[in-house]
Amino acid sequence: MTTVPDAPHTPGLPHAPDTRPVLRVSGLTVRFGGTTAVDGVDFELAAGDTLGIVGESGSGKSTTALALLRMLPPGGRITAGSVELAGQDLAALPEEALRALRGRRIAMIFQDPMSSLNPVLTIGTQLDEALRAHGGSLRKAERQVRAAELLDLVGIPDAAGRLRDHPHQFSGGQRQRIMIALALAHDAEVLVADEPTTALDPTVQQQILRLLTRINRETGTALVVISHDLGVIAQTCRRLLVMRHGRVVERGVTSELTAEPRHPYTRELLAAVPRLEEPSRAAANSTPGAEPLLTVRGLSKTYGSRRRAVTALHEVDLDLYPGETLGLVGESGSGKSTLARALVRAHAPSAGSIRFRGEEQARPARHGAPHREIQLVFQDPYSSLNPRMTAGQIIAEPLIAHGLGDRARREARVAELLTQVGLDPATADRHPRAFSGGQRQRIGIARALAPEPSVLICDEPVSALDVSVQAQVIDLLARLQRELGLAVLFIAHDLAVVRRVSHRIAVMHRGRIVETGPADRVVTAPEHPYTAELLAAVPRLAAVPHLPAAPHLEPARATTPGEATAPPARATTRSTA
Amino acid sequence: MTSTTLPPEPRTDRTDRNRYLSALRSWRGLTGLALVGAAALAGLLAPLLTGTDPNAQSALALAGPSAEHPFGTDDLGRDLFSRVLHGIGTDLALIVTAVPVGALLGCSAALLAATSRWADLAVQRAFDLLLAFPGLILALAVTAVLGPGRWPVVIVIALAEVPGFGRQLRAGILVQREREYALAARVGGASRARVLLRHVVPNAVDPLIVQTAVALSLGVFIEGAMSFLGLGVRPPEPTLGSILSQSVAYLATDPTFAAAPLAATTALVLGFTLIAEALNRGIRR
Repeated sequence: MTTVPDAPHTPGLPHAPDTRPVLRVSGLTVRFGGTTAVDGVDFELAAGDTLGIVGESGSGKSTTALALLRMLPPGGRITAGSVELAGQDLAALPEEALRALRGRRIAMIFQDPMSSLNPVLTIGTQLDEALRAHGGSLRKAERQVRAAELLDLVGIPDAAGRLRDHPHQFSGGQRQRIMIALALAHDAEVLVADEPTTALDPTVQQQILRLLTRINRETGTALVVISHDLGVIAQTCRRLLVMRHGRVVERGVTSELTAEPRHPYTRELLAAVPRLEEPSRAAANSTPGAEPLLTVRGLSKTYGSRRRAVTALHEVDLDLYPGETLGLVGESGSGKSTLARALVRAHAPSAGSIRFRGEEQARPARHGAPHREIQLVFQDPYSSLNPRMTAGQIIAEPLIAHGLGDRARREARVAELLTQVGLDPATADRHPRAFSGGQRQRIGIARALAPEPSVLICDEPVSALDVSVQAQVIDLLARLQRELGLAVLFIAHDLAVVRRVSHRIAVMHRGRIVETGPADRVVTAPEHPYTAELLAAVPRLAAVPHLPAAPHLEPARATTPGEATAPPARATTRSTA
Repeated sequence: MTSTTLPPEPRTDRTDRNRYLSALRSWRGLTGLALVGAAALAGLLAPLLTGTDPNAQSALALAGPSAEHPFGTDDLGRDLFSRVLHGIGTDLALIVTAVPVGALLGCSAALLAATSRWADLAVQRAFDLLLAFPGLILALAVTAVLGPGRWPVVIVIALAEVPGFGRQLRAGILVQREREYALAARVGGASRARVLLRHVVPNAVDPLIVQTAVALSLGVFIEGAMSFLGLGVRPPEPTLGSILSQSVAYLATDPTFAAAPLAATTALVLGFTLIAEALNRGIRR
């Protein structure tokens, strides 16, 4: 990590907790119909302590969080166990009494700050409502002062002046700050944050995580952070629970656990996390050709009318060579997806040229049909597959559209493609819902490969997937590139993933490509300040774990629920960064 | 990379139909089906259930229910049991003809609207025009041209259903067309028509099934209203609306006259509405 310029960031030292447990969860079991989502989870949280719960989708981590406040979706029931908040069992409390506690003593922050705020009310009104919610004794003027204080606490500049603004006048990160302010309205003892930064860009994520750490330190609010991202947890939480299939498989102090995982699953999880320090593996995988396959010059795209035009792409220049993976990184709204869609000719560009094998593809005036040899892999494996069609039909669609083969030949090709992406050809007659997220993404890749493209545009192909599945899909793409000599434009916001898979990286910012260069060079010695900023925002694990060959079992980090009562004096979450 | 194995799974290609079936198995669905089923069965089996000619007059006018006339007789001494059963039959025949015609027209218009912005504008304005006329004004206009009878009723019901179906499908198409799988199909090289018919429309038809149940209840309602005003099927042929219309004059003196046709109309409208509601809840789940 020495090669990475130091982030302008002080490692968040969590608030030193006292020993009184504020939240004690024992044997918590949640069932949905016949399936057990959470199976006998127990943990303790000392006042002012920080606890991270990490796990992949379906591990029961979010259900655990919702069960703490008994806000389970319909069909879910707490069938066993207790949630004691300062000695009071929430699981057995009547609904009325529980409502009085929610928000006042235990508060929650959700993933999506866009939909959690009421768009027609001002921020001031919403804060006022929260302050009034539990029969607070404050008068109107006092509430207003308190609201401004809260906004100030979460770092909204000019807090008092912005109380009259509506949610749409704030950025995504600011909205998440406001959500945190709302959650803090009653000095809750416990703040539960369910994937608080997943919907946010890395630089904003960094700010929110720092804010959570600061609040924990300044107000002494105990923090439970739920995330699929070990990096996020490592940065905010002193202690860590690893969940899988509804059970806690490992627990301990975050820094120790990430440095020395004991449970095989934790090790697997850590190994799958892409690390920014890892050099690119692209060169070992395939060697790019000399003649560019795809040449983009001066590509621009503006939306809206002439008077209020929004420029999504601003004179983008790009070359893509056969057998090469070009990583494209940037935050949301930087124009990455617009570029992808322009390249597959789903959108007509406003200006510029796209040449494929030297042949002009898209003149602004004449917008042709999509090219057979340029195919797109989508981000969301759920919405990009037609739910009414079987996997086989989905993969055969481009074959039919391009008139390739008759029925029997198409069937054979579908079976071949399914095998190629690591799926059983016998599954061709199943609908997308019968597949897991990773398997669906494989179907999406098979569909893109069907018309034998030479360029594959991958628009955030792994960002909707769990880390372990992510690694498999990345391996698949690498293998396909090696076997088929594909040119790949790999669009992602995760720099670590991009470095690993790319020969070269292009950094996009506000519709422009600000920097292009060899993958390792861009990460280790960024030339553009924006690239450096992006790199600094990547949450990192405390240390690269030196994986022990054989697990040595010392009882020091035993998985007893009482271990929270004697925390080490001070844990450093980041030792090397 | 080895093949990933899938767990044995329930037959997925049937879950779509199962969704509707399980929706119908709710109390709403079952009550609706029972009401509609009973009324429809009675209407279809009318010639078997009653030997009496629905139009045969007798001296016994406005009699109450008796063994010979289970629902009594009307002001011309006709057997109400026979008239109501045959009336249900006529009503069902009318709406079962009219609703599919309306659905077909509405859906075709929506597909046309999906082809271009100008077609969309034209179709939308045509729907607005149809909706601008209250149903009864439309009924009056059609009858003024064609004269009263079966066909004007069918035409009015069909026309009244066109905007409902058309807008429902158009809204579905607009939503589904923006989904990623539609873009994926386009990038895959599918033509506009293929994207629309193969990908978008199949995913937009769910609400139409609910709409059909709503339309059927509306059909019963429109037939009743038209016959009530004397614009519908020509007397003496019985329809639920015409029997009701006759009974209104005697509501104070002979309330049993109105009871049977009212119950049958209510059963049909309520039944179809309950089915629609059950299906609606089913597909939203």
